[in-house]
Amino acid sequence: MTLVYTLFSFLYQTGDAFAFLVLSACGLAIIFGMMGVINLAHGEFILCGAYVCSASARAGLPLPLAILAGAVAAGLVGMVIERIIIRPLYDRPLDTIVATWGVSMIVTQSTLIILGSAMPGTGTPFGSFAVGPYSYSVYRVVLMAAAVATLGVLWLGFTKTRFGILARATIQVPHIAQALGVNTGLIYSLTFGLGAALAGLAGGLYAPTMTLVPTMGSAFVVEAFVTVVVGGADIFLGTAPAALVLGAAKAALTSWQGQLAGQIGLLVAVIIVIRILPRGISGWILRERA
Amino acid sequence: MLRPNPLSRAIALLEGPQTQGRGTPFWASFAVVVAIACAYPLFADGYDVGNNVYFFNWTFMALGLSLIWGYGGTLSFGQTAFFGVAGYSYGVISINLGDAYGLTLFALFASVAAAALFAALLGYFLFFGRISGVFLGIVTLSVTLVLERFMAQTAGPEWRVGLARLNGYNGMGSMPSLTVPWFGGDIVLFPDVQLYYFTLALLVVSYLGLRILVNSRFGNVLVAIRENPQRAEMLGYDIRVYQLVTFVIGSAFAGLSGVLYTSWGNYITPASMNMTAAALPIVWVAVGGRSDLTTTLIGTLVVLAGFQALTIHGSQYALVVMGVLLVLTVLIAPRGLIFGLGTFLAKCFHHKTTAGRE
Amino acid sequence: MAILETRELNKWFGGLHVTSGVNFSLKQGEIHCLIGPNGAGKSTLFRLILGEHLPTSGQIVYEGVDITKAKSFERIRKGISVKFQVPGIFKALSVRQNLQIALQHHRRPEDLDEEIDRLLEFLKLTEARAQLAGNLSHGQKQWLEIGMAVGLKPRLLLLDEPTAGMTPDETAATGEMVQALNRDGVTVLAVEHDMAFVRQIAHKVTVLHFGKIFAQGTIDEIVADERVAAIYLGDAHA
Repeated sequence: MTLVYTLFSFLYQTGDAFAFLVLSACGLAIIFGMMGVINLAHGEFILCGAYVCSASARAGLPLPLAILAGAVAAGLVGMVIERIIIRPLYDRPLDTIVATWGVSMIVTQSTLIILGSAMPGTGTPFGSFAVGPYSYSVYRVVLMAAAVATLGVLWLGFTKTRFGILARATIQVPHIAQALGVNTGLIYSLTFGLGAALAGLAGGLYAPTMTLVPTMGSAFVVEAFVTVVVGGADIFLGTAPAALVLGAAKAALTSWQGQLAGQIGLLVAVIIVIRILPRGISGWILRERA
Repeated sequence: MLRPNPLSRAIALLEGPQTQGRGTPFWASFAVVVAIACAYPLFADGYDVGNNVYFFNWTFMALGLSLIWGYGGTLSFGQTAFFGVAGYSYGVISINLGDAYGLTLFALFASVAAAALFAALLGYFLFFGRISGVFLGIVTLSVTLVLERFMAQTAGPEWRVGLARLNGYNGMGSMPSLTVPWFGGDIVLFPDVQLYYFTLALLVVSYLGLRILVNSRFGNVLVAIRENPQRAEMLGYDIRVYQLVTFVIGSAFAGLSGVLYTSWGNYITPASMNMTAAALPIVWVAVGGRSDLTTTLIGTLVVLAGFQALTIHGSQYALVVMGVLLVLTVLIAPRGLIFGLGTFLAKCFHHKTTAGRE
Repeated sequence: MAILETRELNKWFGGLHVTSGVNFSLKQGEIHCLIGPNGAGKSTLFRLILGEHLPTSGQIVYEGVDITKAKSFERIRKGISVKFQVPGIFKALSVRQNLQIALQHHRRPEDLDEEIDRLLEFLKLTEARAQLAGNLSHGQKQWLEIGMAVGLKPRLLLLDEPTAGMTPDETAATGEMVQALNRDGVTVLAVEHDMAFVRQIAHKVTVLHFGKIFAQGTIDEIVADERVAAIYLGDAHA
C-alpha cells in the first residue's frame, strides 16, 4: 500500500509543479512565441495580478472574481506598456530585454515605496485532504485543474476564434495582414495584453498561497523562462510538454534531495535541452524549416 | 608615413576603429585625468579616498561587459555570477591560507582564474552549442539566480570549505584584505590611499590593455561577428572560439571586480548575485555606451556616482531612477547617453576646427 | 579534373524533398551557372555545399576530400568562398575595415595595407573606403562582398545571384570582374536569373527543377532546349 501512497505523492508533486510551470510560463510563451519579445517584466505582471487579487478579495470580492480582477488589471497595464515601450523596439529584440528589465526595476521598487515591504494576503482556501500518511492541499489540486483549463481555453481561443487566427496571421506576416485591413497595432496590443493577463492570472491564482512582497515575481520568473526555453516557441507543442517533463524532474529531484536540487535540476535541464534541441521541444516536433 | 618613435607606435596600437578618442587632444586629456586621479589623495581625507575606491571596483565588471556585449554582441546576464564566484573564492582561499607571504595576491589570481574557468565551461556550452541572442540571455540569467539561491542555502555549519564557512544568506565575512608583501612590513590594502593607487593602476592597465585588444586583429573579428556572424564564419573564422575567448576575458574582469569588492569590504553575500545586482552592470554599460570602452568607463562612474548620491539623499528612489534611465536610454539613445554626448561634442569640436581653418 | 562533386545528394525539409539525388560535377577552371525556376532548389544546393545545412544523405567532395560533415568555416579555409544573394557585409563598419577583416589572415601583415588598397581599386571603391558599408549603393555593396569573397584567394567561388538589383552597366562590369578572376584560375559556380549575364560569362550551364538536375550544356544548347523553356513556362514536371 505504501507504494500507492508514494506514487500518489509523486503524481501530486508532479501535477503541482506542472501547474506552476504552465501558469507562470504561458503568458511569457505567448509573448515570446508569437511576438519574439522576451518580457523581463513578466514577474511584475504576476505581481500586479497577485496584489490586485488580494486587495479585491480583502475588499469583499469573492476569490474567483478577485483572481479575474487581477488578470484584467495586469492585462490592461500590459497593453499600456506595449504601446509605450515594446512597440518601438520590435526590430531590436535584445533592446527589448533591457528595456523590460528597466520596467521591472521601476515597478518592483515603486511597489516597495508605495505599498511597503509586504502586503496582507488571503489564506489558502479549501483546506486539505489525506491520502495515506500524507496530507495535501485541495487548493493546489484546483490549481492543477486551472492550469489544464487555461491551456484548453487558449487552444480554443487561438484555433477557433477570429482573434486567434488574426493574431497568428498578423504576427507571422504583418504586412500582408495590414494590406488586408487588419489593425495590426491593435492586434499587437491585445496579444501582449493577453500574455500579461495570463501572468496576472497566475499571480492571482497563487496569491492565496504566498506571502505578498514586491519581489515575489522573481520566484516565478526563472522557472517560467526555463519552461519557455525548453519548450520552444509554441505553447501547445512546447510549453505544455516542457512543463510536464520539467515538473516531473523537479518533483523527483525535490523529493530526493530537496528544493535546491530541484532548482539546479531545472538549470541543468535548460543547458542540456538547449544543447540537444536548440529550438526547444516544439522546434524539434515541428522540425526546422530553413 | 613612418613613425619610428616608440610612443607613436604604442599609441598606434591603442587607437583604431573600435574605440573613440584618438590623437593628441585625446591622449593629452587622458594624461591630465590620470594625473588628477593620482593627485586626488593629496587633497582628500584617507577615509573618503578609501570609500571612493568602491567606484573603481565596479569599473572592471563594466569594462568586461562592454567587451562581451558592446564589442561581441552577446548580452550576458551572467557577469554577476562570475563576480560572486570570484568573491567567494577569494574569501575561501584567503581565509584558509592567510595573508602572509603575499598569499592574498595568490588568492586574487586564483579567484579570477576560478571565475574564468567557470566562464569557459559555461561559454563552451553556450557558444559551441550555437546558443545566442535571447536564449543566451535567459540561460546566463538563470545561472546567476540559481547560484544566488544555492549560496543562500548554505547556512549550516556543514557548508564550509576548510576554515571558511559559506554562511548562507548572511554571507561570508572576515576574510583578510589584499596584502602586498613589502620590505619592512607588509602593506595591507585597507580602504585607504594604498588601495586607491593599487586599484587605479589596475584600472589604467586594464583600460589600455583592452584598447589594444579591441583594436587588434582579434578585435576586428569580434566586431565582425557582432555585425554579421554568418559572414564572419564564411570568411573562415571559427566564431565559436572568438566568442568563447571574449566571454572568458570579460568574465575574468567581472571576477576581478568581485575580488576587489570582497577585499575592500571584507564581505561577500549572495545578494551580490540577485536580480537587482545582475541588472546594474547592464544599466551602467547601456547608459554609458556599450560599444566603446571609454564611454563605458565614463558612463559607469557617472551612473555609480549618481546612484550613490541618490541613495544617500533620496534613498528608495535610486533604483527607480536606474530603471527609468535604462528605459530612456534604450528608447532614445540606444548607443548610450554618454556616447551620444561624446559624438555631439566631437561634431562641435570638428566644426570649430574646420571653421577656424577657413 | 573535378574540383567539386556531389554524389546522390538529398535534402528533405520535413516532407519537402528539396534536393533530389543530385550528382553534380564541377570542372576546375570552369565558370558554371546554375539556373532554374523559383523553388528549384538552387539556393539549397548552395547552402549544402557551404555547410549551412547538412544533407539528409549523399556526399560532397571538394578537391578529392569528403567535406560532407565539415563545418562551414572549415570549408572556407579549404579554399571555398561565397557571395550571398543579400549582401553579406558588415554594414556598420567602414568599407576599408570590411576588406581588412576579410584579408587580415590571408596576407602578411606588411603587405596588408597595400593589398587592401589594390583591392579597393579593383572594386572601384577607393573613394568610398572610409564610408560605412551600409551607406554604399546596392551595386557597390555587391562588389564589396565579391571583393571580400575574392580576397580570401579562393580556388572555388560561389556566387548567389551576384547581379541581383544591378543596372545593366553594373551587370556587365561584374561579368568582366568574374572573367578576370577566372583567368587567374578561380573556378566559379553562380546561381543566376539574368540570362544576359549567364551568356556573358558561363562556360557551362545546369538547369535545376524540383531539386533535380534537369538539363546541362552550354548556354546555346540550353536556350535551344524546348523542355527547358517549358519548365519556365510551367508546362512540364520533373
